[in-house]
Amino acid sequence: MEYKAQKIEEHFVKEEPFYLEQKNELAVALAAYKNGIPLLLKGPTGSGKTRFMQFLAWKLNRPLITVSCHDDLSTSDLVGRYLIRGGETFWVDGPMTLAVRHGAICYLDEVVEARKDTTVVIHPLADDRRELAIEKRGELLSAPPEFMLAVSYNPGYQSVLKDMKQSTRQRFVALELGYPNADLERKIVGHEAGIEEELARLLVRIAEMTRGLKDSGLQEGASTRLLVHAGLLIREGVSPREACRVTITQALTDDRELLEAIDEMVSSVL
Amino acid sequence: MESGLQERLQEIIPPQELNVWERDELLEQLAEYEPALEKLVLAQIEIIWPVSHSLCFAFLEYLADGLSCLSPEQIPEWVKGVLDAYEADGLRAARTYMDDVENNFLCRLRGESGLVFDEAQGRLVHYLRGLSQRNLQLESSQALFTDTSTIFLPREMTLFQENRSNFFAYKLLLTFQWAFLERDIYCQNGTDPYELEHFFLLFDRPELAQEVYHLLQTVRICRFLQEQLPGLMRDGHALFQLLRRKNAGGEKDKRAATALFEARQWLLAKCSLDEYDLENSELEGILISLLDENISNKQVFEATTHFYNAFCGDAVSMETGRPLLFQGELRTVEARQRRLNRREENKQKFITALAAVLPPQASSVEDKIREDEEKGPAANIIESGANVSPMKSSADKEPGDKQHNPEDPRYICLDDEHIELPEELRELADEIRNDLGELPSFYIASASQMAGGQGESPQASPESREGQSLQGGITYDEWDYRRQGFRKNWCRLIEKKVTPTKGTFVSTTMDKYRGQIIQLKRQFEMMRTHHRFVRRQRDGDDIDLDALTEAYADVKAGFTPSERLFIRLLRDERDIAALFMVDMSSSTEGWVGTALKESLVLLSESLHSLGDRYAIYGFSGMRRTRSEIYHVKGFEEPYTEEIKDRIAAISPIDYTRMGPPIRHFTKVLRDVEARVRLLIILTDGKPEDYDDYKGQYAIEDTRHALIEAKNAGIHPFCISIDREAQDYMGHMFGEVNYAFINDVKKLPLRVPEIYQSLTT
Repeated sequence: MEYKAQKIEEHFVKEEPFYLEQKNELAVALAAYKNGIPLLLKGPTGSGKTRFMQFLAWKLNRPLITVSCHDDLSTSDLVGRYLIRGGETFWVDGPMTLAVRHGAICYLDEVVEARKDTTVVIHPLADDRRELAIEKRGELLSAPPEFMLAVSYNPGYQSVLKDMKQSTRQRFVALELGYPNADLERKIVGHEAGIEEELARLLVRIAEMTRGLKDSGLQEGASTRLLVHAGLLIREGVSPREACRVTITQALTDDRELLEAIDEMVSSVL
Repeated sequence: MESGLQERLQEIIPPQELNVWERDELLEQLAEYEPALEKLVLAQIEIIWPVSHSLCFAFLEYLADGLSCLSPEQIPEWVKGVLDAYEADGLRAARTYMDDVENNFLCRLRGESGLVFDEAQGRLVHYLRGLSQRNLQLESSQALFTDTSTIFLPREMTLFQENRSNFFAYKLLLTFQWAFLERDIYCQNGTDPYELEHFFLLFDRPELAQEVYHLLQTVRICRFLQEQLPGLMRDGHALFQLLRRKNAGGEKDKRAATALFEARQWLLAKCSLDEYDLENSELEGILISLLDENISNKQVFEATTHFYNAFCGDAVSMETGRPLLFQGELRTVEARQRRLNRREENKQKFITALAAVLPPQASSVEDKIREDEEKGPAANIIESGANVSPMKSSADKEPGDKQHNPEDPRYICLDDEHIELPEELRELADEIRNDLGELPSFYIASASQMAGGQGESPQASPESREGQSLQGGITYDEWDYRRQGFRKNWCRLIEKKVTPTKGTFVSTTMDKYRGQIIQLKRQFEMMRTHHRFVRRQRDGDDIDLDALTEAYADVKAGFTPSERLFIRLLRDERDIAALFMVDMSSSTEGWVGTALKESLVLLSESLHSLGDRYAIYGFSGMRRTRSEIYHVKGFEEPYTEEIKDRIAAISPIDYTRMGPPIRHFTKVLRDVEARVRLLIILTDGKPEDYDDYKGQYAIEDTRHALIEAKNAGIHPFCISIDREAQDYMGHMFGEVNYAFINDVKKLPLRVPEIYQSLTT
């Protein structure tokens, strides 16, 4: 099988992503970019972190390379590796190296999920050295000014194994992206799902209600993304209650009482 | 015949307990029945009479109707139900019970009983929390009403035969009560707690005015709900129509009653999207004016006056008809009392919380404040020289000084100094401001006085009072937040052994949770991992010789070789040591203590199969000289029968001084070799000791001890059992470092779950 190296051109964001600013996140991010400071996005799932990165990349007209981190993601996955083909070895750049070489934005989604050894490459890139050591090739890449490192994580998880170390977090400009306020969220859901504002308003109302359940045992309330999903299904002709049940209620929890309670909320609103 | 009956009645009811005409009435009623039935009824009277005389008369009153659908054999069973209702909620409930034989008795006999509150509660509570976004309580009661902190729902819902519909009725009732609070029909956002009650007193018949007001507000609420929760109102059509049918018929020809009746029917029709023609255009005008989105309470007041004057002015006495089912009762007195209680609670909370953040003050100022306080709490502090005010005096402020904008509620002004309120206080301050219209200056004054350390402060307790020596045991420092420093060697900690008790506690628990334990064990076993090599990787620490040989052979043979030629060592071993610190304070007596112990059993079983190292200690104590920890299980001890007996022996002892044990276990954990070290605290409330270790002081010390633990590389986590989430928890434990459980019954299963989610 032919190994296809990723091309940097594929990573440009071609169309303007739909993004409504919550507060001043764009100004902050642009200022950080200008000064070569990496970005840390905090926020619950589905609150627009990834979308914001796409928007930022489009604004800056830089390619965006996104890496979804998982617990088996190692340094080589980021930096690159030698592959063997036909008795010969050849080097393939990993996403991080690709981004550094071309001055792209490298976005590590859910960075706390990655293996701890990845900090080895993140740290020198994230401070004023801005360099990436490719040990296996004995190469030291210096990041061009256009390069930006961004990571995201969800502070709501209570697992102690998934905590960010101070030495890591203190290298970043931290932006908190919570759920947008009701008005904004209504516009976002309306636009993304292509539904009427009134329906979007009701969906947002449901989300607000589920977010009020945190003390009752729900880890997180319904995210904006879930609302968009619900909206999309409704637009496709699924009945509103059923759409919410499959996208919101069932996605949020397995606890029977909570399931029923959320169902009741949905049926009250829709 | 007549006289035979009289004699028999006399046997049951002694003559002195009944006057002549009562006796005649009874006899008259009884004479209507056949002899066989008469005997049966007399037997029932014999049962009911000693319980309540009036119930007995009521019984006979309803019996005639009841017999139309009850067979004589069913009577004794029915009477049992009547007595149950009477004993639970009194005569009125018994009457309600007897009134509807079909739903209350026969349905249940056929197995189509109504829905009891307890069954619906679980779902409803979550629903309410989500709806209200705040901590409203839910309880059952005889009537439907709210005191603005708690919503009371009827114990039983028997409106429909199907439980699904009954649940919906519950939900609708609940939603209306919530909406009443949400739209503030109790006028709690105004500053005068008596506003509503005084308004009603303006009328000749306050209770009638109240009824009108309640109904008009309900019209407004229906509009609000139709907009906010259209789904609910749509689902409610059937119920609204049912109520309308039930209401129709039997209205008295009195003006007020008619107007109320008409208004009710109009509203029900409106809610079920039916047409309803109001004959009276004036009434229609009033009702329609209430459908405006932006209508205020004041306008409802005006509408009430208008309605009253137009339709109730000359009414002397009349039946007003029953309010609509979902309206419930408008209990202004309860609401006002609750509000005043809350005001007092908020005041105390605010003062102690503010005192904690204020810097200690010079005593001269405090003296002045105290003088002032004595003059009267509301006396203006400003005149005494110490300028203590909630940022109201804006005249002398420079314009443009944006940060210290007097309107900015984040700041308070103390002695011409602006102090920023911390987040949690700000909310409280907002609530107080909403309630009183402003933040009273004497709140701040009292707080600053308290912060001066003149009141009951731990410093005030002289050494000699608890002069017992600190010899023996280990001494620990304690954090004093007032001086922002440690009190050196302040507490003495003693380690004790728990004497194992032989008993059936552990085996009973294992029995009780048999199914769940098997499931837990399975879940925990899946978390087990160890060092292992994975072969044939694209990338790894070493070359996989087997794979390489194969690949070489493939190349020689002309095939495309595999690219997976590496071997990798997976090192994601669980290297976790957890120490469980169990509250043994006297407040855990009873249910909480049992649940704590049960959760330890479940946890030990689960951890046993997982292989994580863990230790269990209890803690309690009294005063700083005797902080005790109880050794239940050490890290290296295996989970044996002996340990089980020790768990069973855990029992409530004294108080909850959390600082010293946390510091001790921090030390213990620091010496344990593990990649992740967890300190899990199981407690049922705030830290508190017999001496001054309480309130802010205790919270701050505990918080500091936890921070020390964190700095030592230990992850503290607290599982708190409490009726409701407390404001201080986030502050004390850190926002994501605690879990709060309000249902004791869930604790045993929740603890292993929490442990699992913590460590994966």
